Amino acid sequence: MGTRSAARRRDSRNLSWRRAVHFGAGRHVCRRPAPSSRATTGCSFGGPGRPAARMVTAVTSGAAAEKSSEPGGPDEDVAALIPMLRRIVGARVGQHPAAEDLVQETLARVLAAKDRIEPGMIEPYAITTVRNLVATMWRSDDREQRNRHRLHDPNEPHDIEDSVVATEEQSAITEALGRLTEREREVLLAHEVSGRDTRSLADEAGSTAGAVAAQLKRTRARLRVEYLLALEKVEPPTDRCRPVLLALSSADRRRQRELDAPRHLLECDLCARLSAPLLGRGPTREDEVHVPITSDPDIVAARQAARELAVRAGFSGTDLTLLATAVSEVARNIVKFATSGDVTIELLTQPQPGIRVVARDTGPGIPDVDRALEDGFSTAEGLGLGLPGARRLMDEFSIVSERGRGTTVSMTKWFDKKG
Amino acid sequence: MSAGPALVSILRQGDTLVASIHTALDDSEMIRFQNDLVHQIGEHRARGVIIDVAALDVLDSFGSRTLRTIAEMARLRGATTVIVGIQPDVAYAMVQLGMGRMGAHTALDLEEGLAYLSSMRNRRRRAAP
Repeated sequence: MGTRSAARRRDSRNLSWRRAVHFGAGRHVCRRPAPSSRATTGCSFGGPGRPAARMVTAVTSGAAAEKSSEPGGPDEDVAALIPMLRRIVGARVGQHPAAEDLVQETLARVLAAKDRIEPGMIEPYAITTVRNLVATMWRSDDREQRNRHRLHDPNEPHDIEDSVVATEEQSAITEALGRLTEREREVLLAHEVSGRDTRSLADEAGSTAGAVAAQLKRTRARLRVEYLLALEKVEPPTDRCRPVLLALSSADRRRQRELDAPRHLLECDLCARLSAPLLGRGPTREDEVHVPITSDPDIVAARQAARELAVRAGFSGTDLTLLATAVSEVARNIVKFATSGDVTIELLTQPQPGIRVVARDTGPGIPDVDRALEDGFSTAEGLGLGLPGARRLMDEFSIVSERGRGTTVSMTKWFDKKG
Repeated sequence: MSAGPALVSILRQGDTLVASIHTALDDSEMIRFQNDLVHQIGEHRARGVIIDVAALDVLDSFGSRTLRTIAEMARLRGATTVIVGIQPDVAYAMVQLGMGRMGAHTALDLEEGLAYLSSMRNRRRRAAP
């Protein structure tokens, strides 16, 4: 090993020391080297602010120490320590990548302190130093291990795209916050950012904690919608979009029904896209299944979903088959006449146990609903039994069709009907 | 056909084809089944076809229509079709739906279906000389 390679090793260690200086200042991720490269582990020990000049001394003397073949040099006795130090370090750290660094560091310190050490005491001094260094290394390793989670910021974007995305999200949030009313924003920020509880906010506003909580819930729902709109940089095309999205965001089922939100989602591409993250909100309901219908296999999926739900509700054999057949018919109509639609199946408890199937599509609509309900009337090749048949299979049946907008078929089967 | 258990099986016994539908088929699978079956009638020179629908929990208008189409096509190819194993619930639903008249002969189960086909064969044989 020549002087140059030793110097290079020192350089890299110096570099890692400089990295270690950053440790105290802020985030510093210490990359653990591959076990074979033993030079860069210097960041695990050594204090900040070590003057570079001493490093140079260490380099030269370290190199001199390794060339210990020429006796009589000024640091001969120090160089003689090397085998012993290696033994000590080896016994303590084994094959640790930093082993040789520890030896060199000890030599550097002994050399630096040589003038202060009494003759004959150089060996005990070196032994104590190396022990301390090993202990320091373990200690700082341990500390680093314990504090690693503090150094890691999961929100810190690494790639350039990530940081762009983060910026966009941030500006979307800012814009969304800006679209809230003054009062809403104040309360929301006081609660979410300053961490004030609803009770103290209520006292201030002269209302109750529950009312403040409800208001916060509404504000959050609005914020979600505005955020999504701001992120896409779009204005909703119709004046129904915003209320529908708001109803979805707040998971308000009654309002969704009032607005006929599912139909709007079928019709409005923007809302269908935006609402994806909103749909999962609210408690997932066990008593409702939603099956999108676009192609043949979806028909089977829809009727199986209806069947499973009906079994859970306690329907018996014949009713199950009737229900599944009816679902099959309406789902087939969607595939046959409209390009896309969906079937929603929900269990009812009021006014009596039953199951309701709602099939919506965005097809051309049925020009003459009454005729479509007659047996044998069919525009496509078929028996014309789809709608009238489904009507006979179910207990209640209603159909709403608007030309150019689509058709909604709702039908219900009651559970406790005799027969 | 895709991986997984077979959706249908078509077996030959003598001059009879026994086609069983094992699970709910969607429309395109139904059409494929129809084409396969009609093709195999020619291939095996079958005189009788038994379609076993015992595993189906739903026979909607499309399913019934396809079965009827198969029966018609088989008749034109010179084979008699018997549909066996329609479940009671399915039968009820079909009547409600208005699909009561199948246009093909039906039998309770495979045994009855085979018996019907052999009686038809005997009748034909007696009529022939």
